[in-house]
Amino acid sequence: MTPEDIAKLIVRTSLKDRAAFDLLYRQTSAKLFGVCLRVLSDRGEAEEALQEVFVKVWTKADRFAISELSPMSWLIAVARNHAIDRIRARRRPAADIDAALDVADPAPGPEAMAVAGGEADRIHRCLEELEQDRADAIRGAYLKGESYVELAERHGVPLNTMRTWLRRSLIRLRECLER
Amino acid sequence: MTASDHTGPERDDDALAAEYVLGVLSADERQVAAQRVERDPVFARLVDAWQGRLSPLAAGYAEVEAPVSVKAAIDRRLFTRGAAQEDRGGLWSSLAFWRGLTAAAVAALVLATAVPYLGTPPSQPQTELVASLAAEGSDVRYVAVYDGGRNEVRLSRLAGQLAPDKDFELWLIEGKNAPVSVGVVPAGATARLVPSAPVQQKLAQGAVLAISLEPKGGSPTGQPTGPVVAAGDLKNI
Repeated sequence: MTPEDIAKLIVRTSLKDRAAFDLLYRQTSAKLFGVCLRVLSDRGEAEEALQEVFVKVWTKADRFAISELSPMSWLIAVARNHAIDRIRARRRPAADIDAALDVADPAPGPEAMAVAGGEADRIHRCLEELEQDRADAIRGAYLKGESYVELAERHGVPLNTMRTWLRRSLIRLRECLER
Repeated sequence: MTASDHTGPERDDDALAAEYVLGVLSADERQVAAQRVERDPVFARLVDAWQGRLSPLAAGYAEVEAPVSVKAAIDRRLFTRGAAQEDRGGLWSSLAFWRGLTAAAVAALVLATAVPYLGTPPSQPQTELVASLAAEGSDVRYVAVYDGGRNEVRLSRLAGQLAPDKDFELWLIEGKNAPVSVGVVPAGATARLVPSAPVQQKLAQGAVLAISLEPKGGSPTGQPTGPVVAAGDLKNI
């Protein structure tokens, strides 16, 4: 499916078209389940999160119209936000995310490639301009939804140092992407 | 380099938007940021920009088939409550419809695909103009659609609240001419206004729409008396 097709399905979903919603689910749930699994690293919880994500998609599909994101990016943002909120509400993070799930370095699917397009190369090139540990922190935080607390612990630096590092790195990343 | 950490609120907001999108904030900070996204269109745009910037990283998420039970559970949650749910569908769809049309104004992608898909008969070239109304320093955000076929302006409030003793009034501004009132905006998240014939003509040609804050019942002078809380161009879709 092209991004235009996905956009149509979201718009039709906002008009409460169930057939469109079903098709949207078929086309995108595997990716969004991948998001929930990666962030939550618990199958049962990821399944619950995926339910909630699609309930949100059904009730808030009209929001897509006022965002300027591509349809897949919008859906992924809904899923990531939900999964990250969920993991933050948890007391303790699951023991070891990558050990619990064998999804550490998946090959991007065709749809992901289509969405990312040439932009993917650029962001990776820009991340390479950063110090390796900071680029890793950004990638890890994005994919797993790690918090400053967790990142600071893993990198063995005080929380404020981590925050300063990451903020500066993000600003440099933006400058590179806008170059 | 340390100076770059403190270069004003704009930069701080941008960094906050980046942190929110990246997902590193605590539960409380995320809640505050999420509420700002709802209330503050400028901040919401910063967040959207970061969502877009970082979105290629999402290629790192593997696709994993979810068990069939998940979709069944979603359908149960959404569709088994029966009539009550369906009734809400009517209201929601009309709201969604107008917001759907905004997409056309905002994103060419949806413009090209969604509008014909919504079933607008191509053989019926009615004037349909859309405007996204917002203003700096204001959290009021409206979408206005002028439907030439039905001669009405439909308004959908996306953000912002109105004090109980005030009203919003919609104005049409054409070039350097004085604003012309389209009408006091009826209360509610969605509203309709039927403009007078001369206003109608001007609307059809496309103009700037603005919403001002007025005393209850509208401007007593026939010209805006309060601040403009949202404005935007009517664009052809």
